Amino acid sequence: MRYCALIVILCILAWPTEHYAVEKAGGGGIGAEIDPSPENPYPDLLLDPESEGPDLLDEDPYISEPVELLGDPIFEDDFFFNEPPPPIYDPLESMNRAIFTFNDRVYYWFLKPTKKVYTSLLVEDVRRCLGNAFANIAAPIRFINNVLQGKFEDAGVVVGRFLINSTLGVFGLGDAAYRDFHIEPRLADFGQTLGKWGVGEGVYLCLPFLGPSNIRDTVGFFSDAYMHPVPYLSDSFGSDLVYLGVSRVNLMSITPDVYEDLKRMSLDPYIGARQAYYDYRRSIIAE
Amino acid sequence: MKSLQTILVAALMLVSAAIYAGAEEASPTAQLQPTINNLFAILDDTSLKGDEHLVQRRSEIMTAISNRFDFREMSKQVLGKTWHDLSEEEKEHFVAQVTKLLENVYIGKLESYGGREVEFVAERIKGKRAQVTTIVPYEGANIPIHYIMQREHDEWMVYDINIEGVSLVRNYREQFRTILLQQNYEGLIKIIEEKNQAFAAEHKTG
Repeated sequence: MRYCALIVILCILAWPTEHYAVEKAGGGGIGAEIDPSPENPYPDLLLDPESEGPDLLDEDPYISEPVELLGDPIFEDDFFFNEPPPPIYDPLESMNRAIFTFNDRVYYWFLKPTKKVYTSLLVEDVRRCLGNAFANIAAPIRFINNVLQGKFEDAGVVVGRFLINSTLGVFGLGDAAYRDFHIEPRLADFGQTLGKWGVGEGVYLCLPFLGPSNIRDTVGFFSDAYMHPVPYLSDSFGSDLVYLGVSRVNLMSITPDVYEDLKRMSLDPYIGARQAYYDYRRSIIAE
Repeated sequence: MKSLQTILVAALMLVSAAIYAGAEEASPTAQLQPTINNLFAILDDTSLKGDEHLVQRRSEIMTAISNRFDFREMSKQVLGKTWHDLSEEEKEHFVAQVTKLLENVYIGKLESYGGREVEFVAERIKGKRAQVTTIVPYEGANIPIHYIMQREHDEWMVYDINIEGVSLVRNYREQFRTILLQQNYEGLIKIIEEKNQAFAAEHKTG
């Protein structure tokens, strides 16, 4: 009974003063992130009627016909007067493309069949529960990074969610914090933290098995691995990898298939994936 | 005299009502909503479901949304400055091909969601541009689809669609730009045509 009271108090403390789940918009699951959060990656805009949504509009006034306005196409360096987003620096493109192709093979020859078998073995509810548990265990990553980003309220929410889900949610298998209290997850990773601190993206990298990334986010990925509790609890590197593999396959089995969609719609899937990854990362860093 | 007065007052009221209506401009959401609702109504229409009705369904959808989606503007933005090198004929052809591509991607995506209800949840206006956010439920997740619009003669027109945080126009612009670094415009249009043929073949084989 006392325990319940404690949770309720923590819950109230952790409750954010205003809804800002809106910021969490963006397509997850494209790139290399260690935090396997399968929780609804989309903001619950439905809960927040006041919201205007994430700001996707450029700052500068939009000019439809710069040529007509200036009357001289020579002035027109590029099609837009808006300051273009910084270009993606990809000097290793040929290597990255080779790895992209390698990942494509890994996906179709190995990951997809594995996912199929995995999906047939476990019913969806079980996979979702496992997904919740994997995400719950990764809470320290979100806590530390929210603190490092100065988002103490969010860090509090992470703690609140962790406590609720570990108890009421039974070892994190159920997302009671969201289901019963409508507390949204607060995602944060070290690549994002570095970005918010002003660290540049560096060279674009397509990592084997992990997909789109860059120097900064790769550093972030391996730093996040140090914040993950599992390596400290397990006895070998091999079991860590198994854990990572299982949590990834599980995540794949409960989230929409981003990669196949992207490949289907793209004329050059490598560029499509690179651009989508940068769009997504830049939006969560700019928020 | 009295009747003249009445007529005058009535006329004044009419004029002021007309002015008021002109000043009270419809919001981007108010303008977009009927279009999107029509779109989803067609997707929901059981007599139009399935691959065998694809052509008819798609053509009805494209007719329904063409008054609110500026496909020419999208095509122009996707191509960048190369647009100005094209002849009017080439522009027409390019717009037709890009429209087809966006139709395959965007409508195809909505079809895969299964034509459910859509909710309008947010709106943001900055000068001549606006962004309307909708939520489409899919496999337990809520997928946000943002419509980026600009005002053209008191009409809000969609010129970009942002699904799950990824801008369609920007994504294609980067892809087109890369292709144009290695090939000329003819090479690019050929690749787009092949992509559209691949989409068409997909539905034939099921």
